Amino acid sequence: MASVKPLRDTSTDTTTAVTTDTTVLTERPWNVVVWDDPVTPMKVVVVIFKRIFGYSDNKCTQLMMTVHHDGRAVVWSGEVERAQSYCVKLQVAGLLATIEKDS
Amino acid sequence: MAKLFVRRRDGRIEVRLNDAGREVAREAFGRVYVAEHDAEHEWHRTLNAPIDPSKDADDPLAVLARQSETGSNAELAVATVHEEFLTDVEAWAWMTTMQVALRATAVANHLHDEETLRSSDPDVLEYIRTLQDFLHALADIL
Repeated sequence: MASVKPLRDTSTDTTTAVTTDTTVLTERPWNVVVWDDPVTPMKVVVVIFKRIFGYSDNKCTQLMMTVHHDGRAVVWSGEVERAQSYCVKLQVAGLLATIEKDS
Repeated sequence: MAKLFVRRRDGRIEVRLNDAGREVAREAFGRVYVAEHDAEHEWHRTLNAPIDPSKDADDPLAVLARQSETGSNAELAVATVHEEFLTDVEAWAWMTTMQVALRATAVANHLHDEETLRSSDPDVLEYIRTLQDFLHALADIL
């Protein structure tokens, strides 16, 4: 049976794909976490999420309900500098917020 | 219940608090401002909670940004507490400073869950309810 030659050399593509996959696996994102407390009105949490992240009303309400029912919610994930910046904004707005590396 | 804040057609926010309401707001804003600048204040630790609890020390730039922003919001709220009308930015400063005061009050009085909140000192509880009413009203118009 005649061997079929590929039309172009794919060896470098394979290397690139492996490298990219490895990068994705090793760089875990940072999560911004908002924690529940017994005094903050739900409506205020929604307004703060909307103003800081620009999320839709639905998404803000869903995140607020997750905080309320589960005690915490991951409200944003990504690079550490932006996670810190969002965390500061949430704390300045009076919410209990922290950052953590995604597990 | 009569509305405490009303959004006007021109975009401004009318403050309809009476003298007693203004006094509660003024006292709350003033305490946040003082607490941010006084490391001995009972609210100071609440206002400076760690950003990353897994580390011994936070990023100094992030801490500086938080202190600066919290101080600015409280300062703006104090400066506008007697205004008849607020801009959007001023109303946001009122809401965030009031929210900081609310949570700091809860933490300072060890009110960490619904049960401790229900059984807390009646004066503290009344103060918390008053701030919550203001916050509800502000969230409605923001």
